[in-house]
Amino acid sequence: MTRLEAKKPSFCRSEPLTSERVKATLSVLKGIVTSCYGPAGRLKQLHNGLGGSVRTTSQSAALLANLPVTHPILKILTTSVQNHVSCFSDGGLFTAILCCNLVENVQRIGLTPTTVIKLNKQLLSLCISYLKSEACGCRIPVNFSSTQILLCLVRSILTSKPACMLTTKEVDHISTLILRAFLLIIPENAQDHIILGKSIIVPLKHQRVIDSTVLPGILIEISEVQLMKILPIKKSDSFKVALFCVSLSGDLSDTGEGNVVVSYGVSLENAVLDQLLNLGRQLVSDHVDLVLCQKVIHPSLKQFLRTHHVIAVDRVGVAVMEPLSKVTGTRPIGSLDSISPSSYGSVKDLCTAKFGFKHFFHLIPNEVTVCSLLLCNRNDTAWDELKLTCQTALHALQLTIKEPCVLLGGGCTETHLAAYIRHKTRSEPEGILRDDGCTQTELQLIAEAFCSALESLAGSLEHDGGEILTDGKYGHFWSVQADSPSVVNWPDLLSRCGCGLYSSQEELSWSFLRSARLPFVPQTCLPCEATDSAGNLTLDCFTAKLSGLQVAVETANLILDLSYVIEDKN
Amino acid sequence: MAAAGSVRAALQVAEVLETVVSCCLGPEGRQVLCTKPTGEVLLSRDGGRLLKALHLEHPIARMMVACVSSHLRKTGDGAKTFIIFLCHLLRELHAITDKEKDSFFSENIQTHGRHWKKCCQWKFISQALLTFQTQILDYVMDHYLSRHFLSIFSSSTKERPLCRSSLEMLLGAYFCGRVGRNNHNFVSQLMCDYFFKCTACESGFEEVLELVDDCFVELKVGVTGLPVSDSRIIAGLVLPRDFSVYCPADGDIRIVIVIETIQPLFSTFGSEFILNSEAQFQTSQFWITERTKAIMKYLQKQNVKLLLSTVKQPDLVIYCAGLNGISVVECLSSEELSLIQRVTGLAPFVVPQAASQYELSNTAMVKFCKPFILRSKRYVHLGLISTCSFTPHCIVLCGPVQGLVEQHEVALHGAFKMLRQLFKDLDLNYVTQASDQNCTSSPLIYKNSREINDLPEIVNGSIQRPYQDTVVKNKDELAKTQTYLKAYSNLVVPSVELETNILCSTPTVTLTDTYQTDATLRCFSPDKARIMDDHEPFIESNSANSATENTRREISYENLQVTKNARKGSILPVRYKSLEMCTSQSYCFSSVPAGCVLPVGGNFEILLHYYLLSYAKKCQQSEETMVSMIIANALLGVPKILYKSKKGNYSFPQIYIRALHALQTNQPMISNQTGLESVAGKYQLLTSVLQCLRNILTIDLVINIKRQPQEIYDQDSEEEL
Repeated sequence: MTRLEAKKPSFCRSEPLTSERVKATLSVLKGIVTSCYGPAGRLKQLHNGLGGSVRTTSQSAALLANLPVTHPILKILTTSVQNHVSCFSDGGLFTAILCCNLVENVQRIGLTPTTVIKLNKQLLSLCISYLKSEACGCRIPVNFSSTQILLCLVRSILTSKPACMLTTKEVDHISTLILRAFLLIIPENAQDHIILGKSIIVPLKHQRVIDSTVLPGILIEISEVQLMKILPIKKSDSFKVALFCVSLSGDLSDTGEGNVVVSYGVSLENAVLDQLLNLGRQLVSDHVDLVLCQKVIHPSLKQFLRTHHVIAVDRVGVAVMEPLSKVTGTRPIGSLDSISPSSYGSVKDLCTAKFGFKHFFHLIPNEVTVCSLLLCNRNDTAWDELKLTCQTALHALQLTIKEPCVLLGGGCTETHLAAYIRHKTRSEPEGILRDDGCTQTELQLIAEAFCSALESLAGSLEHDGGEILTDGKYGHFWSVQADSPSVVNWPDLLSRCGCGLYSSQEELSWSFLRSARLPFVPQTCLPCEATDSAGNLTLDCFTAKLSGLQVAVETANLILDLSYVIEDKN
Repeated sequence: MAAAGSVRAALQVAEVLETVVSCCLGPEGRQVLCTKPTGEVLLSRDGGRLLKALHLEHPIARMMVACVSSHLRKTGDGAKTFIIFLCHLLRELHAITDKEKDSFFSENIQTHGRHWKKCCQWKFISQALLTFQTQILDYVMDHYLSRHFLSIFSSSTKERPLCRSSLEMLLGAYFCGRVGRNNHNFVSQLMCDYFFKCTACESGFEEVLELVDDCFVELKVGVTGLPVSDSRIIAGLVLPRDFSVYCPADGDIRIVIVIETIQPLFSTFGSEFILNSEAQFQTSQFWITERTKAIMKYLQKQNVKLLLSTVKQPDLVIYCAGLNGISVVECLSSEELSLIQRVTGLAPFVVPQAASQYELSNTAMVKFCKPFILRSKRYVHLGLISTCSFTPHCIVLCGPVQGLVEQHEVALHGAFKMLRQLFKDLDLNYVTQASDQNCTSSPLIYKNSREINDLPEIVNGSIQRPYQDTVVKNKDELAKTQTYLKAYSNLVVPSVELETNILCSTPTVTLTDTYQTDATLRCFSPDKARIMDDHEPFIESNSANSATENTRREISYENLQVTKNARKGSILPVRYKSLEMCTSQSYCFSSVPAGCVLPVGGNFEILLHYYLLSYAKKCQQSEETMVSMIIANALLGVPKILYKSKKGNYSFPQIYIRALHALQTNQPMISNQTGLESVAGKYQLLTSVLQCLRNILTIDLVINIKRQPQEIYDQDSEEEL
């Protein structure tokens, strides 16, 4: 039944950004995301008043997905961050904070949106071309012959998620595991076109983090009852595998749109079972050692197979079907009779294993491109957080293979970039302005807003009331403890910069980030030896950060460009 | 509850709408954020979409929105300008009526009689508007404005090669008003590239535009979470789903389309399958399996490498396809199917009844078929080999949020619509055109001693009512235009004002015929012949009255005149006899040729404004002067808003004065804008607005019905007893 109802008129507001309510909600959101940022970030507890589990997190993916946002402008901001995260996994908070900062700073200036948007875009393209250029002072090329930089990247990602609750030792352990899992999925004899395999994260909650491990091949979880039915596996150097995607439970498949009339006394079950047993006979005669089925196997068929020393595992689920067929080299069988011998595959070894209190069936393939990462953590919410972090790290490694370089982390890229923009807009404003019809004063204003947005982004890494300094040579990020004496000898108080590349032994003319500074030329072109020697760097994924920067500026432009909001109240 | 429909109420409504849309107008326009009831957010600068999103309640506002959307359906452009122009027209009308009648001020205490009287006056104005639209506007367009037109084609030969730089300028201007400021250059460049990549040969672009316009949804892939600058064009077709089974294949790949499951089923719709024994069941299952295998084998023998299916195929089919090295893509939508069929001309594969040996006929070739990964989502990428002039390409549109991607999609789609309109000729109504059902009045215009005399011919189905012909001696001075005019001297029948003619006639329908180019004029001869036939009795009856019909023709192309005269001679010998004194019979056939453009930035409006004013000065009849003045002044509303934020030399008064000066001294107008816009679109917009205004003016009372909208039931049903 349909009911016609007159639509309510929409609600229309002009100049949405000027309203106090929007400003207030924006600053609340900014407060939430800023306080989560970085290794010292504060955790947020998300819970539903109606029940359900409590989630402790500091990651944008979990935070924004659960945050109930009502105002359309905030919705634009959060969805754009969420979309970025779903593409790149990393850099969500970075994008959100930068976007908020930009909107706030630009509003304070009070220039027309046209000018602001044009200049913001120019500044963005300046940043992008600098970051992509060889001369960039905050980019490190990745040398794949050593794992040092990749390990630093993974470790930086792990430490920046405090809700995983890892100790330093655990961080080391997990980052090695992640890197090993990543290396396992790279095919050994790669040609010009690399197709990466897959690493499957297997949950193992309420265990010590140190118990986490990575295994080549696939783990299929089985119950204890099933395990007891599996006979001791005879030793062999290869096992023949059949993988079924069709149900072996004996149910009738689609019979068409018409009716099927069954006469009295005709038992279709028996007919189907006959068919299944025929199939079993064929499998046995083909010397199949292992039968895997996505769906259910009929108990009689299972029994039949067991008596013939064939291992049968059913209900493996659709998720592992693709890795299974990849690992074993089988073609998923969709037919109940006459199986082509070419559909069978093989595995090198089979075994059962017990991790924690769970039993697994472990398939070890001939050529490893799929691995299982058994992830342990103490409780549910910490495990969820760790899993998300591991996925982020694995994704970051994949992106790094595509674009073999990383950016300096720990706030150094942001302050360096800000210093570079300040210098550029002062020294050659004509090149940036071109023919846009904007004045140099406008450019200076916007550049200042842009740079301070970047710098306060870097500054939000500090949560404990400490001071942020920047140096006058590299433009890096240095932080000082809160209770430091006022008259200071900086080199004594500071040890290393945010990314860990430079130490305070050099005389670098530090100054407060908040204070007014003269623009200087930040040193471009990282010296090679600097990156090689430094042991423990804080690094960020290049692709994710670059795209985050673009998305943040584009979204800020979008928000600044709004002149009306029309809300449909139906 | 009834409210008087008045210009004032309409003006108030239009002014509110104007404030909303004017913020999005032109290159300086800003974005509007719309939320859907589902909570999705949408960014838009599209006037039509905004007006719809407002869900207006006011009846006049709803009428305006309806007019706008019907205009958009036709042209796909100009919703914002529509509202602004309408608002200015109403404002001018309001000011004028205020001046003329003092009683307008006492609107609340008006008596009924006075209200009706006013309505009559508005009706009068609306008739004057109609006269303007059908006569003066086209006349001015043809005689004065046409000399300013530029063409998008680089030469005026028959194949009409497209000029890339002018297309870029046209699209640049279009996207300036449609997408965010920081993206319009990029999007217009993308669109331009796309258009030229899709157009294989120079001439087939109309076909390409039609196909892209129809199937645009299937030709784009939206990706969120990436910066806009990652958008790109991909050769081939991208289907938003993964392969059910993928077997890599090289070289040219043969494909078939199926629209049913390949595996035979136990029973089809409306039939029954009776199972009598278990053996029967097993054999039938066996048969089904064997049959499926045989079909797949057959396909493999025919070298088919890819199966496109509109339905979900059973596991068995997928398995067999994999064994035979055939890739399968399932669940194609009907739109995707029709696109593939249009591009390749491929008919669906019919599963043969018997295992056949004959050659498979319904196949097509693709250059490649491979998985395509975008943002870790898998797509099917097909390199279709086209059999028409469209070379398949896809646009991947990226953006940080879905709302932005959608905005770009809508803008691109609108741009294709706009181009499609642009490449059509737009006919101005000079010619008498009688359709089968409707009677049409389309007057011929004589510009003679500053008077308009017309020749309305109303032909009504079977009953033909010849009206008075006004035949006037023409002393024409418009020789400066190259139009070909003849002076006739004929019998004069009492001349009647056009207004009275229209009053007498049943609702008049003005057909705006979209004729093809001058080159294809010839194909309309059957049409013309019919008109002639209709005229024959009319002429005969006239000749009884010893009246002679006088038809005038203006032909810009002299060569055409010859052919037409010859044709007419064969059709209407009678007519020739009776009209011997007329050495030349002519119909006016003026049109805005395909691809006509003007620079953006209110050029069209200022030009039309200028010519209408100069026309109004020469005009003697007060209504015409008034209407022309009103429209001329209202036209300036759009450029005023466009230049609102500009200062100094680029402010509106400066530009206006410079343009007027250039026109008076016959110098070319200098425009500081680089974009172009379609003349036909502007013209259609103007006529749509006038039509909407007429609708508003003719309403005298708005009656509010409280009842819920209901379906009409059969009253005398038996259940009531």
